[in-house]
Amino acid sequence: MSADMTADSGAGPADTVDAARSTAPAGGGTSAAEPSSGAIEGRSPWQLAWLLLRRDKAAMISLGFIVFISLVAALAPLLAHLIGYGPTDQDRTNGITVDGLPVGPSSAHWFGTDNLGRDILVRVIYGTQVSLLVGVASTLLAVAMGVLVGLAAGYFGSVVDTVLSRAMDVVLSFPFLLFAIALVSIYGSGLGISVFVIAFFTWAAVGRIVRGQTLSIREKEYIEAARSLGAGDLRIMFVDVLPNLLAPVIVYTTLLIPIAIVFEATLSFLGLGVVPPTPTWGNMLSDSQDFYQVAWWFPFFPGLALLLTTLAFNLLGDGVRDALDPRAGRLFQD
Amino acid sequence: MPRTTHRTRTLALGAVLTSVALAAAGCTSGSSPKPGGQNSPGTSADAANVNGGGTPVKGGTLKLLGNSDVDHLDTASAYYSVSYVIERAYARQLFTYPAATDPNKVNAVVPDLATELPTAANGGISADGLTYTIHLRQGPMWNTTPARAVTAQDEVLGMKRLCNPTQNSVGAPSYYEGVIKGFSEYCAGFAKVKQTIPDMKAYITGHDISGVTAVDANTVRFTLVKPASDFLNILAMPFSSPAPVEYLNYMPDDANFRQHTISDGPYQITSYTPSQSIKLDRNPAWTKAADPVRDAYVDHIQVTEGPDEAAVQQQIQAGTADMEWDTSVPTASIPALRATKDPRLGIYTSGISNPFLIFNFQSPNNGGALAKPAVRQALEYAIDKVAIGQIYGGPSLNTPLDQTLPPGSLGYQQMDPYATPGSKGDAAKCKSMLAAAGYPNGLQLTDLVRNAGKHPAVAQSVQTDLKACGVTVTLDPVPQGDYYGKYLGVPAIAKAGKWDISEPGWIPDWFGNNGRSTIEPLFDGRTYGPGATDWGDVNDAQVNALIDQALAASDETTAAGFWHQADQRLMAIAAIVPFESQSTPVFRSDRVHNAIFEPFSQQYDVNEIWLSPNS
Repeated sequence: MSADMTADSGAGPADTVDAARSTAPAGGGTSAAEPSSGAIEGRSPWQLAWLLLRRDKAAMISLGFIVFISLVAALAPLLAHLIGYGPTDQDRTNGITVDGLPVGPSSAHWFGTDNLGRDILVRVIYGTQVSLLVGVASTLLAVAMGVLVGLAAGYFGSVVDTVLSRAMDVVLSFPFLLFAIALVSIYGSGLGISVFVIAFFTWAAVGRIVRGQTLSIREKEYIEAARSLGAGDLRIMFVDVLPNLLAPVIVYTTLLIPIAIVFEATLSFLGLGVVPPTPTWGNMLSDSQDFYQVAWWFPFFPGLALLLTTLAFNLLGDGVRDALDPRAGRLFQD
Repeated sequence: MPRTTHRTRTLALGAVLTSVALAAAGCTSGSSPKPGGQNSPGTSADAANVNGGGTPVKGGTLKLLGNSDVDHLDTASAYYSVSYVIERAYARQLFTYPAATDPNKVNAVVPDLATELPTAANGGISADGLTYTIHLRQGPMWNTTPARAVTAQDEVLGMKRLCNPTQNSVGAPSYYEGVIKGFSEYCAGFAKVKQTIPDMKAYITGHDISGVTAVDANTVRFTLVKPASDFLNILAMPFSSPAPVEYLNYMPDDANFRQHTISDGPYQITSYTPSQSIKLDRNPAWTKAADPVRDAYVDHIQVTEGPDEAAVQQQIQAGTADMEWDTSVPTASIPALRATKDPRLGIYTSGISNPFLIFNFQSPNNGGALAKPAVRQALEYAIDKVAIGQIYGGPSLNTPLDQTLPPGSLGYQQMDPYATPGSKGDAAKCKSMLAAAGYPNGLQLTDLVRNAGKHPAVAQSVQTDLKACGVTVTLDPVPQGDYYGKYLGVPAIAKAGKWDISEPGWIPDWFGNNGRSTIEPLFDGRTYGPGATDWGDVNDAQVNALIDQALAASDETTAAGFWHQADQRLMAIAAIVPFESQSTPVFRSDRVHNAIFEPFSQQYDVNEIWLSPNS
């Protein structure tokens, strides 16, 4: 046991509570902790974090946007029905010129059409489904893997740590695209393989963070106490250590989602992702390569959707980090 | 994207390929002004855009700009059409194709190193059609030190080098094996030779191809296994070039060889940096008097490699480069160029059917439905050929095609056995015929598609068309480089039902009398096997018999009749669904004059171009 174990009262929520209390009033007159001034209320650390997050305008706007695109994704078939075109319908009469060029935005096609006469608005809407699905699914998979491996490495230490840490180093040093191309050429491209490839290349980063946190937490005296009470390794790992890791894991998850979305778009752009004609933003950007000089709308709208979505997730991620870890500097002061 | 830089045999063999289907390929200029005639803007597919007015001026550097390198510099193995752009400047053959804008002449062989075309009348071809006696002209020289005459022995050596045991052997052995007497046996022996320079040299000097002999220094004699009315076309392939004895001192087309190419054409390669640049200067040993087909106006030819299609186009428009090397005019920029009647754009009508829909006759899926002619016939009606043409730039570059032979091939007679309104497809007819064939609920097909270029768009267009006919198509994207070699050319994959339909491309190795390079490789069912190009196993006894008759025909007219019958029969059994014949857009800089399109290389003949003085 290290000598300084008494100097710190513990990590995670306990820390957060203290820190939130000490910094919230300093934030200004509109302290989140004092809607009813004077009265002392008991608040959980998560309530406090949420109050802090709500004060972050950028994060709230981003959250609103994410809710919006989630709705769009869920309602894609309905929206497409209202617009009047399916995602793979080719409007060969009005949606394409005689020479095979896309047609610009008009009342019939608000975002214009692509090189096969398909409505870009509808395809951007459907692309939201794939982006969110792959982004969230691969991130959850990566986080699950990262937490398990990082927890094991940090908690057990010694040989287990060495082996798992080197494994993470190896994964982190893999050339992502080469590996993706190799995998896809063996197994064929598709949604599942995309999720797997993205998760495979992001879990190690989560694993390292979790391992680092676990290393410090396992030295805390309450862990020592749990152990002396006869708790088993698994119980300590998942009941005593894991909850105290939630803050960094949540922050990292939010920041991983946009990375995964961009990964997916990259794979699709290279023809290694979701199989056509399923619209994805990456597929659409790839299709537009030959036409960007004559049809600005073709790369613009999927590109804009990709940009706004990743930006929203990143800003939300920053907000979440600020809320859960007030000691870090804020991105935007309010 | 690189233009279809490959002759299709290579593609089919799946060697190094990249893209055929970009193959906006094309060839003969239709009705057209003669060189020196009026210059017409490239607004019509039939307008040759020569810029031929004025008096030719010698000198200057012709700058070619493109993306990638040649496949080989050795004439024995070079197979990309881009390689032939410069081969035409440094390597001559016994026969070749003329620089001409007349569609009736451009695909007919003319003498090059030979003094005249051998015929039965002049004694060049024996009565049984099996012996060709060819006389070489006096005057062509190698740029050796000292310069040395090109002899019949060099031609014999050129033929012997073709089947060397290295990976750099001839790209299309089938044009020689089974055609020239003793060639297969010679190759079989050569295959056992160790791949070292002394061993290969010893084999070549110690063994002869029984059907290729040098009667004297200026007479070479070929003996065939069976008559071949296209034998002169085969001799006009760059593979058939003569080779100087110095070439025996190198491994075929290795890095060292490439630094020491020897020329008998108007230019010689003076500098070659792989994947970067090729520089050709005048060959002092060449004389115009001894060359009936090349003029050689410019002093230097500079090939620079690296930029992509769009960048190349911008540089030519800006005038910092003169011609495309291996890239094409970007399809999306053609409408704007045509709208402004840009005189630098030339569009040349084509002898190329690309792409087209093939069926996997071996597929077990749907109860083997695709092996039934009635099913394939129904699907013939489904495709909107205009929509597919739009993917390749629309009607100015694409003409709907309804048969296996495109215009420009011997035996072509226009037909449309499965006509639909405006060539836009007839889903209702497809559906009713499919029901009549026993599939009222449609089919489930897997479409093997290359995951790059325009291929996914083509597959999605086909998918939409077939959906309207009740056929559900699932796309299976595969890497472009694996498409032919690891998928289409592998019967085990076809038999396992990994694919049902696909959209490959095909560029014949020559035009005119070219059934040996179109129908025979694509549809002769007896060749079905690993690496064969009858990918779907079209195997029809009538077609096979017609191929034999056509190849053995003693003259072109007879051959044309058989090829036409084979074409008819292939469409009757719905062997493929042709989409369109394509035209090639070519762009040149302002200062390029006398730009004569050369179908063989799909590019302007570099020997004929002259540059504006003071440019």
